[in-house]
Order: sequence, then C-alpha cells, then structure tokens
Amino acid sequence: MAVSKSNVAVLAHEPIRIGSGGGFWGDRPLAPVDLLKSDDLDYMMIDYLAELTLSIMTKQKRRDPSSGWATDLEIWLAAGGIDALRKKKVKLVTNGGGANPESCARMVLEQATKIGWHECKVAVISGDDILPRLDYLLKNGEELTHFESGETISDNGAEMMSANAYLGAGPIASALEIGADIIITGRVADASLLVGCMLHSAGWAYNAFQLGLTRESPVVDWAPKHITNPLDILAQWTIAGHLIECGAQVCGGNYSNWDEVPNLATLTLPIAEIYLNSDVKITRGRGGGGMVNRKIVAEQLIYEIGDPEAYITPDVVVDMRNITIEDESEDVVVVTGAVGKPEPKSLKVSAAVEGGWFASSSLLISGPNALARATACDLALRARLSALEELEIYTEFIGGGVTLPKNIRQQLQPILNPPEVLLRWAVTSPNRQNITEFTREVAPLVLTGPAGVGGYGARTKPRRQLQFWPTLISRKSVESLVKIELLTHLHITPESERFHFIRKRTRGFISRLQDELDEREWTRPIVKKLGFERNDSIAELTIPKEKEVEI
Amino acid sequence: MSEIVWIPLSDLAHGRSGDKGDSFNIGLIAHEKKWLEILEVSVTPKLLGEWYGDSVTGLISVWSMPGIGAINCLLRGGLGGGATTSLMLDAQGKIWGQSVLRMRVPVNRKHATELGVSLNNQSENQWDMSHLI
Repeated sequence: MAVSKSNVAVLAHEPIRIGSGGGFWGDRPLAPVDLLKSDDLDYMMIDYLAELTLSIMTKQKRRDPSSGWATDLEIWLAAGGIDALRKKKVKLVTNGGGANPESCARMVLEQATKIGWHECKVAVISGDDILPRLDYLLKNGEELTHFESGETISDNGAEMMSANAYLGAGPIASALEIGADIIITGRVADASLLVGCMLHSAGWAYNAFQLGLTRESPVVDWAPKHITNPLDILAQWTIAGHLIECGAQVCGGNYSNWDEVPNLATLTLPIAEIYLNSDVKITRGRGGGGMVNRKIVAEQLIYEIGDPEAYITPDVVVDMRNITIEDESEDVVVVTGAVGKPEPKSLKVSAAVEGGWFASSSLLISGPNALARATACDLALRARLSALEELEIYTEFIGGGVTLPKNIRQQLQPILNPPEVLLRWAVTSPNRQNITEFTREVAPLVLTGPAGVGGYGARTKPRRQLQFWPTLISRKSVESLVKIELLTHLHITPESERFHFIRKRTRGFISRLQDELDEREWTRPIVKKLGFERNDSIAELTIPKEKEVEI
Repeated sequence: MSEIVWIPLSDLAHGRSGDKGDSFNIGLIAHEKKWLEILEVSVTPKLLGEWYGDSVTGLISVWSMPGIGAINCLLRGGLGGGATTSLMLDAQGKIWGQSVLRMRVPVNRKHATELGVSLNNQSENQWDMSHLI
C-alpha cells in the first residue's frame, strides 16, 4: 500500500516497511512469495515458533542432525522467494532456524547459490538453547521452576527434552549491522524480530558500537542520546511486531465479523510501517483479499496477552492500556500510545519434559437420539477398558455443546437434538500398552454398539506427549553466550559441490562488532540509515530525515 | 420493569482468545468505544466464574484497556493442562473468544438505552438459554 502524498508531506518521510510472512510453522507456505512480489518492503519477518515447536524440532534433530528447523522456509525460498528477496532487496529475519539454525542457514545459502547469488550473507544467531548446559546452570543457582505449577525439575524427575531462552532484538540488529542479508535465529521473541530491524534502521545499533557498549547492555541504552523517550519507542516497535507476528490474523483472518471480510481465500499478509516519530501504521499486501481496520487490529492487539499493563518481551515491558488504534484510510490504521518500561531482569525459557502416552479416536453417530446413542457407545468403551489401571479417558460429544462450558452444556443437553454427534475420545497413560488397548476397542463399536455408528478408521498409534515447562532464567546466564555467525561463500564453481564458508564469529552481539566491521572488506552494502534530530521547542522527535550512508 | 436486563455479550462486544500455557485469555472489544463503561461493569471475574463453572479451575482476572475500549480476561487452569498434554480437542482455547459471546451479561436498561446498546435480545433471567437453541 503506497503512502499517499499527503501523509508523506505530514510526516516528511517514508516509513520503514516490514512485512510478515506468516503466523506459524504450518501457515500457508507460499504466501510470503506473493507478498514479496506484490509489495515493496525493507524487511520480511516470519515467526515460525509456537510455544512447543522447539520441542518437536529438537526431537527431529536427534533423529537427523541436519533437521530441526522450519521446512516451510525452504518451500517458499525455492518457489521464487530467494529470487524475490534478492531482486527487491528485502532483508529476511526469521526464527525458523528453530533447534538447528546453522543447518537452516546452509539450506538458505544453497538456495542463494542456485540462483547465482554468491555474495549472499546469512547470519546465524544461536545460544538460546540452554539444554547442553542445564546441569551447569542448575548447579550454579538457576532453579528453572515451572512458573505456573511451582514444580522444580528434580521434583518432576522426567527427562528434559528441550529448553530455549527467548532472546531479544539485540543480536538481530547486530547481525544486520555487519551486513547480513538473511538472518536465521533460534528462539527469538516474536515481536523482537521487528524490533531488531528497527534498531538497525533507526541507527541505534550503529550508535551502540560507536559507544562501545557491551553485549550485556539493554537495547534501550543503544538509543542516540538526543532521543528522550527510547523506552516508548521500543514499546511502539514491539507492538508493531506483536500486531504482525500472527500473519493474516491482522488482515481479517480469525475476525469476529468474518462475514465482512472480502475474499478469505486469498487473504493477504500484513505490513507494519514504522515512522521516525514512532507512529506505527498497519496495512496489508496488495495482492489479494482481506482487510485491515481498527476492530481487526484491536482483536490482534489483545491476542494471547495477560496483564495489559505489562506485556513482557526481552527488550522492553509494554504498557498497552492507553494504546489507541484509529482508521486512517482504507486498509490503513494508525497505532499510537504504547508506553515502555525497562526490560525484565529475567528471560523466559520454553522447555519441555517427556510426558505420558497419548492417542485420540472418533466415531460418527446418527439417528434419533444420537446423543443417547453416543453416550451408550462411550459407556461401553469405558466398561471394556475398566480393568486397565492408569488410563485417563476424556470424552467429547461434538455437536452436543462441547464448545460451551460444562455447566451450560449440562443444562442444554436435555433439549438439544442434534442430527449427528462426533464422539471423540482422547486418552493418556504412563503405560504405552494401555493406549494400544484403547485403540483396539474403537472400531469394534461399529458392530457391537448402538445402530448408526460409522466413520471409523485405522487404529491410531500411541505417541509420546511433551509436557510444556515455562520457566525463567537470569539474563547473564544466557546473553553472554549468544553467538552470531555470518555465513557466506566466495569461490563457488558450478561444477563444485563443495561450499567454502567464510565464517565470521562473534561471541555476544556487541563486544567485537567493531572488529567485524574492520574485517569485512568483502561487504560494502548500502544500507538505509535514518537520522534523528530533536526539535527542542516541542520536545519530541519530529524530524524524520533519511539519508543513504555507506557503512 | 426491572432495572437490570440480561443481553447476549455479542450485542456488546466482539472478541478473540488464545492460550498461555494452561490459561487462556479472552479479549473483548466493545462494538462502540463508549460502551466500555458498560462492559467493565458487566463482565466481572465473578460473572465469568458463573459461566465457566468448573471448566476453569484457577483464578480469573479482568483488566481494562481504555485506549481501544476493551477488557482482557485471563482464565487460569482451563485447558486441561495446556496445549501439549490437554485431552481437549481445542487444546489452545481458540474457540472460547467466540463461544463466550453467547453468555448473557447484565446491563442497566436505562443506561444501555442511552448509549444505544441493542436490547432486542434481552431477558430478565441470566440463565435464559433460548438464544442458544
């Protein structure tokens, strides 16, 4: 969506435009290519990691050391995505590296090589994975107590399968500063993907290494000194990241007034436009259906949050209470009013311990009194399995009010008369054999239950559950070990399958950045840098001025 | 005529929900920003507790977000252990933000009329389920 002339006049500036390529690993895989082709962006961010995605990826990596990253990334890069990134000069920032960012980055370099983009530089950000040093951390004062249940790891006793700390925006900004074209990370907080881009584009990262700040310094200290409200600016950027990290969900997807949304089939992805007065606008790609308005954006602002006074990220704690969202024009809303408070002392860790065995199955039941027939089926199955100890069976009568609370459902069931019910069981047990016994008892109900039972399939297989383990860790236990590596290759010959990686290593994200900059004669990118000036008369940032500088 | 009438929440607000471990949040946004004052008084932790009964086992919090005319409700212990270990089909609590819109909430008849809230679906009984059938 082009910014209209009048806006440019008012703001005297073109915004930084950051697109979101999707909402999770499993979202429409080719949608990022459409957005890259239809719109002009400075950056594309993609959050591929839900709370438990890393546990799944860690399991995959154990089976195959080259896996454990978001494979959707390869699908769209290979389908014209890498070419579009290069041609349109868009920098990609994603946490799709998951449990194995280095292997993911190698895949990205291979994609770049295939289209002849030999100078492509891919940064790998790691150090979020604390599993290898879990014992050390536990011996040195980290408790890693489950922050919902209060349980300690030793109380639980189960094997920890994965443990990843949420990194912030600093490493991303540093990687951009040393010239990365594509940034592949492990667990970086969703909104920090965007904040990292802005720390770079707004010149904060440049300022940080000019000042010689250490990697432990909070990103708020990176702000040039004429900026009077750096926490609020970080808060605005964080909210922009939060608003677009779920992809099309802010463009009319999952919207209460879904029947007002034009063409759900071709829903486009969102774009955040960030202005130097810290205004944030949310708009969407031009290539398809969907819409952006204040009600839709409000639904996304409030999505998966707790106390709105303290939306916690590694970079800043945001007070959302006085954020306002206003329609500006068709498909453009303005978001203002986020207030920032200093970064938290601890980082969140998403961990997982091994849980019990699990399976689920369902049957379709029809006829007069379908609900009563389903109940009879359920009672028969439970009786046939009653000899098994330590088997938990959970039954849902879908069509019988399962999406209402239990007490409401019970009041309604006597008067409900659905034409059919999907009878669904989910079972769990510490004993795998119990789950197998359950899977053997489902299909027989077709011949040995009430009439009108169908929809059975093959026996399902027992699978292991992972138990989510959210906890906290001190920043110092993580941030000093964050690693940025820049991968590129020089002398690729078409007939050679060998890649020569030049690897630039920094332990931490600021301390040796200056050295990195001195060393990199092979990269002289023109990066869009933005200058800030302060208008003292009104004591706020009003002079968005753009200049191209060569770094 | 009673001062208080019960209307479906959908006549007052729209919403979205999602999971946080074993908790889920429901964001409720007033259709008109000026209706927030009604929403704040009507949708209390106590009312949500009555609607959810033992489907939610932990504390319920409600916070206001005056900037967008919304309240955020956090319901702890409602997902059967959370997304990875829950036995519920909707283990992420995605449906609750729409399902709760069918809950009846109390409004002051005169105040609601003044602010233009539709009372077409009003009832004098909190547990009138006729609009659910």
